[in-house]
Amino acid sequence: MNTKQEPQRFVIPIGPQHPALKEPGNFQFTVDGEIVTKAFVRLGYAHRGIEKAAEERTWIQDLYLIERVCGICSHIHALAYCLAVEQLAHVEAPPRAQAIRVLVAELERIHSHFLWMGVSGHEAGFDTFFMYSWRDRERVMNILEKLTGNRVNYSANVLGGVKFDLDKEQIASIRSGIDFLEERTRHYLDVVATDFMFLQRTRGIGVMSRAQAEIMGAVGPTARASNVARDVRKDAPYAAYKEYPVDIILDERGDLEARFEVRLKELFESFYLIRKILDTLPGGELTARMPRKVPAGEAVMRVEAPRGELLYFIRSNGSDKPERLKIRTPTICNLTSVVKLAIGHQLADVPMILAGIDPCFSCNDRSVQIRTSSDPDGRMLSWDELRQHGIDFYKRLEK
Amino acid sequence: MNWFFVLLSLMVFPGGLFLLAGGMAYEWVDRKMLAVFQNRAGPRWFQPLADTVKLLIKEEIIPDKVNAILFIGLPIAALAGGLTAALYVPVAGLTPVYSFPGDLIVTLYLLSLLTLCMGLAGANTLDRFSLIGATRTLTQVFSYEAPFLLAMLGPALVAGSWQISDINAYAGGHWLILTQPVGFIVAVIGFMGKLVMPPFDAPEAHTEIGAGALTEYSGRGLAFFHLAKAVELIVGLSLVSAFYLGGLATPLEFLVKTLALLFVLIGLQSLLTRMRIDQTVGMWWRYGTLVVLAQWLVIILVMRP
Amino acid sequence: MKIGVMFPDVSGALMRHSATEKYPFQRQEVTARLRSLLKWNPEACTGCGLCAMDCPAEAIQVNVLDRKAKRFVFAYQVDRCAFCGQCVESCRQGALEMANDRWELAALNKEPFMLYFGDPDDIKAVLAAEPAGEAGIPADK
Repeated sequence: MNTKQEPQRFVIPIGPQHPALKEPGNFQFTVDGEIVTKAFVRLGYAHRGIEKAAEERTWIQDLYLIERVCGICSHIHALAYCLAVEQLAHVEAPPRAQAIRVLVAELERIHSHFLWMGVSGHEAGFDTFFMYSWRDRERVMNILEKLTGNRVNYSANVLGGVKFDLDKEQIASIRSGIDFLEERTRHYLDVVATDFMFLQRTRGIGVMSRAQAEIMGAVGPTARASNVARDVRKDAPYAAYKEYPVDIILDERGDLEARFEVRLKELFESFYLIRKILDTLPGGELTARMPRKVPAGEAVMRVEAPRGELLYFIRSNGSDKPERLKIRTPTICNLTSVVKLAIGHQLADVPMILAGIDPCFSCNDRSVQIRTSSDPDGRMLSWDELRQHGIDFYKRLEK
Repeated sequence: MNWFFVLLSLMVFPGGLFLLAGGMAYEWVDRKMLAVFQNRAGPRWFQPLADTVKLLIKEEIIPDKVNAILFIGLPIAALAGGLTAALYVPVAGLTPVYSFPGDLIVTLYLLSLLTLCMGLAGANTLDRFSLIGATRTLTQVFSYEAPFLLAMLGPALVAGSWQISDINAYAGGHWLILTQPVGFIVAVIGFMGKLVMPPFDAPEAHTEIGAGALTEYSGRGLAFFHLAKAVELIVGLSLVSAFYLGGLATPLEFLVKTLALLFVLIGLQSLLTRMRIDQTVGMWWRYGTLVVLAQWLVIILVMRP
Repeated sequence: MKIGVMFPDVSGALMRHSATEKYPFQRQEVTARLRSLLKWNPEACTGCGLCAMDCPAEAIQVNVLDRKAKRFVFAYQVDRCAFCGQCVESCRQGALEMANDRWELAALNKEPFMLYFGDPDDIKAVLAAEPAGEAGIPADK
């Protein structure tokens, strides 16, 4: 009989259904008491086959399909798509349209950061913070509804420009909304930076050094909180960001507190940018003429989603449907950091670390081609083979 | 006819049904005021009753490889503990008839019975979330129990008796919150730990471990644990306000003082983030115990002459 | 290092109305640009069918019975509609418009979700011509 005491090891599954996750994803943490010793992530629960579906629809229909890749970053996905297709067709959207696009993108960033604030407050157990920040988020959603006609999935873009214009009443409501939100953001920054009990859950947790961030390929505010100065709006300005430049917000500490502060300070940049756009909106028309059949070619477009760098690759073969559409979202770059950083932390810190990267699982489930040394071109499975593969996989797990 | 009044007082008022109804009413006040503090609407007055009824009519699923007797019996024991503890506490401002010398210790143990039952219930199942929840529940008991007991025994020391009704009568003349403020603070915060209220809700941190120790419970068992918590709320509030807020002599005093104390608890709940279990234990063993021992030192020194 | 930094919010909440909208007793005001149910203006329509071609959800079908006499039947499937507004953009005659107050569209059966606009006799003719089942819209794709 083995008399040596084995330490109790559990595998705690966080997901696919778990109160900590707003979307399905599977994390398996091996814990020893309360300390995490190993982590494993499995995705694919929100895969909908959008890239394949996009090949069956015309360019105009695809715009609305792409908008629905994600609910919180829908405008930025549509914007990246429009810019890439306009690049292929050698069409330049007029300046007023580009400015309005940037305006909606920044409003969406505000919405996304308020949503994230509430969710991470909830993960920490600070429900009051959650309720108040989501109450304020209603304000920005009302502004967007007044402006575009819908609270989520704004459908502001068309290929070649935007759908609507701004009139005096809307500009006034945007301004008053922004003033209210700026005051609230100041208050939340104060809460996040000085509340003792909240800092106990965020200070010194999930520390990622600059070298680690660069190796793991972190993007967006997660990387900027570790002093990696990467922001697509500054590195490769698109739409109207050349006329309305932004400052990069950096923080050296690299822990959860830094990520909170970076996102909240980014909101101030957004408020400033929106006011500047409203003050100096260029005149002109709203759309440029786009052909129905986009000329053949390949285009790559990088934009800054609220979560980080979003990349679109589109290949056209001259017809009215795309040949290949590839989307690479920021969350998939940041997930490695969760898996690596969770080790050594307590189980209670893990949902906070996950919330710190602002995960968006519906964005990141794209198809991935796996090449092994025995199948250098990857393996293609037919429908029946795929079904059998699934059955065998779970049978093996049960053993 | 005596047995009729005994049965009435045990089953209907002030025990039994009154306690259950009062517990649910206080739970509603808790949820509604928390919602008001968070600037939202909150549930309507019959929500806790609706929850209990809904749980009672649901099927109870007993998981595999679990000790069925313990699984079914632990919720009943928890509820029984809460209801029995009320026999010695001046609930509704009425003098407890069943009190006997030393019943303070019995009451405090009965109030802990709920948490112990929850911990055992979690340890009983094979679910990983329940096991972690059970570990956290029992760890939390070991951390706040000692300071809480000492804080509740402080008034017993100055009243010179271990009987709750005597201490209640003594406190009627002296507001112990003024002479033992530290003990009051420790008692209130310890009570929050006992009820697993935020910020001490790591044992049932639902964003980390599902529902903690009670993850596998549904139907009747969950309804009983729920009711036991509600009963403990009202009994514990009566106890703490009887000791520190000048005794409970009339039903009106009971209502006013317990609701005021509940208000303070709700305010604390809404302002503070959840603490990790190691932070909870660290705080209690570093500050809680030392502070209440210092209070005891002061009491003993003052009582010497 | 402070404790309870949200205290001003929490204490002020006692004086404030709750932020919850008690639907259906309280309804949010609709904005002018809200995209709800589609409206078709038969006068302006020329039957070109661009709206049906561009709809991402394939919710529109324009049945042309007589182009010169402007006899069209506009079949609109509300449960497929994504309320994106592309049809409004695509129509060069401005025959389409989205209402801004018809957003409470829940129903207990499928009847209200299949809308036909046009002359009643024309609609009957279209329905009769289609095979039994979902009229006007092909079953898949």
